Amino acid sequence: MYCKSKINFFYVIFFLTSLTFSQNVSVYDKLINSIEEKTATLKKDADFQKVVTFLAASEWDSTLVYSSKILNTDTNNQKLNDYIFFFRGFSFFNKKLYNDAENALLKISNTFDFLPNTLSKLGSIALEKSDFKKALSYYLKVEELAKTQNVLVRMDRVKHNIGLCYLHLQKFPNAEKYLKESRTLHEKGKDTIQLIGCYGDLATLYYDQYKDDQAIPLFQKAYDLAKTTNDFDAKAKTTKNMAVVEENRKDYLKALQYRKEYEQWKDSVNDQNKIYAVAQEEKKTAVEKKEKEVAILKADNKVKDAQGKMYLYSAIILFVMFGVSFYFYREKVKRNKIIHQQKEDLDELNATKDKLFSIVSHDLRSSVHAIKTSNKKLISKLETEKSTEVNSLLQNNSSIVNSAYTLLDNLLNWALLQTKQTHFEITTLRLHTIVEHVAYNYKAILADKEISFKNTVAKSEFVLADSESLKIVLRNLLDNAIKFSNEGDAITIYTKNNDTEFCQLIVEDTGIGMSETTRLALLEDTSLLAKKQHENSIGTGLGMQLCKSMIKKNNGTFTIESELGKGTKIILSLPKKPT
Amino acid sequence: MEHIRILIVEDNQEQSEHLSQMLENHGFYIAGVATNFQEAVEMFHHKDFDIIIIDIFLNGRPEGISFAEFVDVQPNGLKPFIFLTSATSRDIFNRAKLTKPFAYLIKPYNELELIYAIENAIEKFYGQDNSFTAEEENTVISQEHLFIKKGKSLKKVRTDEIVYIEVEEKYCNIMTVKEKFVILISLVKILELLDSSKFYRTHRNFIINILKIEEIIPKDNLVMLEGNYKATLSGKYKDEIISKFRTLK
Repeated sequence: MYCKSKINFFYVIFFLTSLTFSQNVSVYDKLINSIEEKTATLKKDADFQKVVTFLAASEWDSTLVYSSKILNTDTNNQKLNDYIFFFRGFSFFNKKLYNDAENALLKISNTFDFLPNTLSKLGSIALEKSDFKKALSYYLKVEELAKTQNVLVRMDRVKHNIGLCYLHLQKFPNAEKYLKESRTLHEKGKDTIQLIGCYGDLATLYYDQYKDDQAIPLFQKAYDLAKTTNDFDAKAKTTKNMAVVEENRKDYLKALQYRKEYEQWKDSVNDQNKIYAVAQEEKKTAVEKKEKEVAILKADNKVKDAQGKMYLYSAIILFVMFGVSFYFYREKVKRNKIIHQQKEDLDELNATKDKLFSIVSHDLRSSVHAIKTSNKKLISKLETEKSTEVNSLLQNNSSIVNSAYTLLDNLLNWALLQTKQTHFEITTLRLHTIVEHVAYNYKAILADKEISFKNTVAKSEFVLADSESLKIVLRNLLDNAIKFSNEGDAITIYTKNNDTEFCQLIVEDTGIGMSETTRLALLEDTSLLAKKQHENSIGTGLGMQLCKSMIKKNNGTFTIESELGKGTKIILSLPKKPT
Repeated sequence: MEHIRILIVEDNQEQSEHLSQMLENHGFYIAGVATNFQEAVEMFHHKDFDIIIIDIFLNGRPEGISFAEFVDVQPNGLKPFIFLTSATSRDIFNRAKLTKPFAYLIKPYNELELIYAIENAIEKFYGQDNSFTAEEENTVISQEHLFIKKGKSLKKVRTDEIVYIEVEEKYCNIMTVKEKFVILISLVKILELLDSSKFYRTHRNFIINILKIEEIIPKDNLVMLEGNYKATLSGKYKDEIISKFRTLK
């Protein structure tokens, strides 16, 4: 334990030694300045300057890198090499690579400017390796050189180390001498820590020679001195030394007290380290925590960003969906409206159809009934052989059948027109021929009813129409004209040709005419069927509706002019053949 | 003048009789009545006729259209035909239209419509529209016949029988050995349509059938024709006519 405590002192030793203590600027700084001054004249190489700069800044790795670079390129200049090796040794030493440092330093020539420093460094290396003899020889050389020249080495430490070496080599008188010298130098330099070490070393020196009387006060002195400092290490060591001393003096109480104090200082040292370590740890954890927090915040931000974007997208999507649904809703409403309209139209059409159906059936039944009764009469007349009456009855039957046929024909044509099944082809038609063809069928009836008929349509009159539908129209018009004319009336078909695009075909009769209401009712587009006005004629208005529809399909127009008692004019406008 | 000969393709006997009656009343000759496709084809090959009236529906099928298609592909024997139908159904019409009929006759039809359809078919077949239906003319001219409208009827005259034609303003007097009659046609048109290898102008107003010449008397400017007809030979046309003959001098 005792020895151990002594060895502990050795590690307090500084490696750079200096000449004077009084100066504030450290010997090390002086050394660097001196090196800079000396090397400034030596080489203006950028790398070299860098090496010096890095050395001054205590950046050992960089120093090593650049110095090796210089060594690789330029090895001839001994002086330069000395510096480079010095720097490298210095750097290696500071990196605690003692073998490398020694190798580098040993390459330095004896003519080097900072030879004492080199030797001192070598001494320190030897000391580190506990090679006290070698160390002693290096330090003694430094001491020797210091006597002849101004060296930038802390001589107090050199002497201290020499003393230490002697102490370890059991050469107590020499040790005592050098330690005392170093003590005075330390005292001069007010280097308390070194002084404590020195006292300790001296005390150890005496203690090893069993000169307890001399040793103990020195231990005490070191202990007291250490108390004034903040150096826990020094305190702990001096206290431990005191504890050992008291133990050996068998004063266990005191020893225990010192031991406890030692433990305390040691703990303090440890604590300090621990606190430092803990602080470091805490710092680390705090940093980590912060980093974590930052990371979390970042993640949070990301999430928030994403959320924000999601909200935006959802809003857009919702808006679009809303727009789309609104559009569809409107479309649906529109469609519903259309459907509703169509339904109404259909209902109306259906009602019309039903009415038409009932009227047609009624009329047909009347016709057939009339023929039935007429036939009965015929049979009875034939039995009584009244041939003149038979003839008139047959005439009557024929006219009834004709009317019924016309009705059926119209019905068929109406159906065909509605279902668009019929062939329809607009061609150029010679109006005169068409009128002639239609009128031919009515020649007998006209003669019978003594109605004069004239077709004054010029043979040069051409229209664009579908011949069959035009014939159906004319048939109906002529039929009506005959139906609503009496004996002696006249029917004329003629054209008026005032327009360049349309030809007016007029069917005029001097018959009974019609009232304005009937006329308007007939012209009405969705007109239902006209009421029967003429007892003896079958009329449903179907013919008129058919005429209007067909003329419309032929791109023509249909108008009626009429006056009750004077007659009726039906005017058809049909597109002319383009010239 | 001869009757126009008509081939009827109609399955309904009542209707064909009605049609035949109507046609005969107007001076047409019924060349035959076929009641189905087979018969129709048979008659097409063996009967002499000028025009065919075809009912689209034979025995409930649109066989009439098939027959029309058959007629359409006859290389030299194409004849004008008329479709007779009660159905104005669009589908049937569209199919019928593909056979390019020369007229339609839609039941029920009257005499005027029937004759108009026949006239129309002949006009269209010979590419001389409005020859009968317009007031100015009444004749359609083919290589072999003149189809002449007389009142509500149509007649035909073989061009071979024409001895000469004398033009009087809008009219042309057609002279055959047996008869003479007047037709309405312009001189320009008659010259254009008649076979120019047979008919020649001898005068501003005379067209003669060169095959009917019996004697030419240049000094009297006369052409003696068959049937004791005489035609004037004017100086303008004299040389051309004489050059057609080898003259003995």
